[in-house]
Amino acid sequence: MSEKDDRFAVSRRDFLKSAGVGGLATAVTAAGAAEAEAQTGPRVVGPGDVPVTLMVNGKRVELRIEPRVTLLDAIRNRADLTGHKRVCDRGTCGACTMIVDGRTVYSCSTLAIDVVGKQIRTVEGLSTGNTLHPVQQAFCDVDALMCGFCTPGFIVAAAALLERHPNPTAEQARRGLDGNICRCGTFVRIMEATMAAAAKGVRRV
Amino acid sequence: MDPRYKWPEKPTLLGTSVKRLDGPDKVTGRARYTYDISRPGMLYGRIVRSPLPHAKITSIDLSAAQKAPGVKAVLAWKDVGAELFYQGDPIAAVAADTEERARDAARLVRVRYETLPHVATEAQSMAADAPRWNLAQANTRAGTRQETGDLDTGFKQAAHVVEQTYSTHVIGHVCLESHGTVCEWEGDKLTAWVSTQGCHQAAQAFAQALGIPQTDVRVITQYMGGGFGSKFTPDSQGVICAKLAKLANAPVKLMLDRREEHLDTGNRPSAFATIKAGVSADGMLTAFDAQSWGTGGAGQGANFPLPYLYQFPNRRRAHTDVYINAGTQRAMRAPGHPQGCFLTEILMDELADRVKMDPVEFRIKNAPKLAPNAMWIEYFQRGAKQFGWDKRHPTGDPTRGPIKTGMGVSAHLWGGGGRGTQAHVDIMSDGSVVVKCGTQDIGTGTRTIVAMVAAESLGLPVSAIKPEIGDTQYPFSGGSGGSTTAASVSPAIRVTTMKALDALCAKVAPALGTDAGNLMASGGRIHVRGDTSKGLAWKDACKHLGTEPISVDGAWADGLSSSGTSGVQFSEVTVDIETGIVRVKRILAIQDCGLIVDKLTAESQVYGGVIASLNFALYEDRILDRVTGQMVNPNMEFYLLAGMSDIPKIDIVLNNMPERGVVGIGEPPTVSTSAAIANAVRNAIGVTIRSLPLHPHKVLAAIEQERAGGTQ
Repeated sequence: MSEKDDRFAVSRRDFLKSAGVGGLATAVTAAGAAEAEAQTGPRVVGPGDVPVTLMVNGKRVELRIEPRVTLLDAIRNRADLTGHKRVCDRGTCGACTMIVDGRTVYSCSTLAIDVVGKQIRTVEGLSTGNTLHPVQQAFCDVDALMCGFCTPGFIVAAAALLERHPNPTAEQARRGLDGNICRCGTFVRIMEATMAAAAKGVRRV
Repeated sequence: MDPRYKWPEKPTLLGTSVKRLDGPDKVTGRARYTYDISRPGMLYGRIVRSPLPHAKITSIDLSAAQKAPGVKAVLAWKDVGAELFYQGDPIAAVAADTEERARDAARLVRVRYETLPHVATEAQSMAADAPRWNLAQANTRAGTRQETGDLDTGFKQAAHVVEQTYSTHVIGHVCLESHGTVCEWEGDKLTAWVSTQGCHQAAQAFAQALGIPQTDVRVITQYMGGGFGSKFTPDSQGVICAKLAKLANAPVKLMLDRREEHLDTGNRPSAFATIKAGVSADGMLTAFDAQSWGTGGAGQGANFPLPYLYQFPNRRRAHTDVYINAGTQRAMRAPGHPQGCFLTEILMDELADRVKMDPVEFRIKNAPKLAPNAMWIEYFQRGAKQFGWDKRHPTGDPTRGPIKTGMGVSAHLWGGGGRGTQAHVDIMSDGSVVVKCGTQDIGTGTRTIVAMVAAESLGLPVSAIKPEIGDTQYPFSGGSGGSTTAASVSPAIRVTTMKALDALCAKVAPALGTDAGNLMASGGRIHVRGDTSKGLAWKDACKHLGTEPISVDGAWADGLSSSGTSGVQFSEVTVDIETGIVRVKRILAIQDCGLIVDKLTAESQVYGGVIASLNFALYEDRILDRVTGQMVNPNMEFYLLAGMSDIPKIDIVLNNMPERGVVGIGEPPTVSTSAAIANAVRNAIGVTIRSLPLHPHKVLAAIEQERAGGTQ
């Protein structure tokens, strides 16, 4: 593990100890922290800004942020990629769903310093120029959106699902999308769009 | 209205399924909501709120917050001595250079309180020795009193009488985009990006609250993430944001967090009624006598229609609003109707059982007569056939095993209809068309129907129209509430685009050697009526404008919209009598909606309404701790909403009635689903649960009570 990683892992631990904010313990975070501590022991950074480099949609994003800043806030407030929304802020509603190293995460409950060196994909990275990703196109075709606030999270969840299960059963699709909530009530058409995109084929990016 | 402007008899676009124009912006994350607005030098605002349900402020100390890192403005919103009426009542606010620092600084505001006794439930508030929710105001307020016919006669005609208490609970709007604004001053002029259902209304409210001319306020709402009735004014957070921005001399973004959203942005009031109702031996309703009450928290307005829809010739009703120390109610999708519908529809099934009649037959007998806006009788018949109602067993699923199946039905009505909206249309000499209207798209697809109506009038494809909405710089339109938007906006766009077409035809007529009155637009051409070959392609026609574009104002006119809708819904559920868990299997929603503008988005409104009502029936509940007055679940993990696995099969029948003009349907489909579900649960388990939500513990308790001696 590199020196940079050690430093961030420790500051995260300090953050967890002092801030007492709920919902931070994603599986990825917990495993990473334990590993880092075992190898290096505690070393504190922050509470001021620290340099953080994120790989977002294949591009390097250099930031100076406090260690407590979440992946979602770093990307929204500091990198001005505002597609993903903070809704529940507790890892419940899925509006902030991003893909980190191939797995979906709730970015509202993931610290930016924990995903340094990992490949982060957001809704902004799914389309190419004016060509929509098959899931995005299917959402437009069948009106699988209303106010649109949950939509980026659902799109990413559906795209990630289809990368893992290119031909999901209805049950697999429902399970894959159960981590997201829509308040306008677009669920029926989100299922329709997801299955339509699967039928057209989604290739792993 | 000019009769030539009436809706076309054979429309090419209206009533078809047109994809949302802003779909690509929303699916790519490009759409910028208020929450996404970023301005140079922008600060973040944060409100300090009361942790207590009822208290008096004895001191406020802002000094530590003022000295905190990154803080640029601090203000007291309430004065020392002010009374606080609910957990979450705003007290002070800060603005700092990052969101995190604003949160830190808000924690440094020191407020001291004198705790006052509170009331957290309707029963506590109505008790004889209850403490006052407000030192200056009584706990209850007499509401509606109605009496029609003669109750004594009605009850004498009754062969059976049911007397029970029914109730529904408080739920929140839970808009995914929280309430909030970005405020920026340029001298004395305010520009505010607001997550609102009414940009012109928000501007008016800002002007009043800030004491500045409304002409100095511009409100922009390009995209907004749900309102459901809770976003008609800037509220305290909007005014606080504007004041912080003025103090700090910098733009400020202030979006509420999820907890604040639950505590202080409105809710659907509870509804209770003790009802005595009579039915004759042949199944005619004879009498209805009800005492009703409900709470809108620290605000009045917990009324609801009762009895709902069905014809009781002799009836009396007395309503009381009850105050408690909780956030104030606001209009929520079909205000009052889901409550009145549930209370009445459960009673209807109980009465039907007394006279041993099928619930559909019983409803047909007692529903209002058929009319264009009152299609219930036809929908009951049609729906029963389509849904397979003949397979419904009488009350109580007789099959063995823990999973019981049942069917239920219910009906609803709504007003809707159009009102004053203005629009502006420019047709340029290059053929491009822009339509401007100060309405807003709250997720219903307003931007798309603006373009569709314009395209229909001008004989152009939808893609040829540029719709501009969501800004007070565009002509006035009302707030998006009461299912009035489509019926207000569509006629205004129709009138204005037809006027613009008249003006264009007048310019083109000489070149075609005819009178303007002989010309029409279709298929991308301006041509002689009945002869498409004698004409010009749209772009060539527009070249005749030279340097002066067509620039026309117009307004909503009577004759293109109407009000009044009816709908009927059927549901099938399973109930696990060992766990109390209810699963909805199927819903059939039959809805009339006048002239359908965009079939695709109209259907989405019905899907959404049905799912919202399913949430009301089975999941949502604003839970207040009776002892502390604190909300137990101001979040989204314990305030439950349906997810993908909870969604049933939903079939929609939209009854297109073009002769009625446009009638909005944002609200009606959300009224009756919960009652249809509750009646299906009753049919499945043979036990009547007279209050929502149908949480598992309540279902189990009702079954237990029935086994122990019955609920009548």
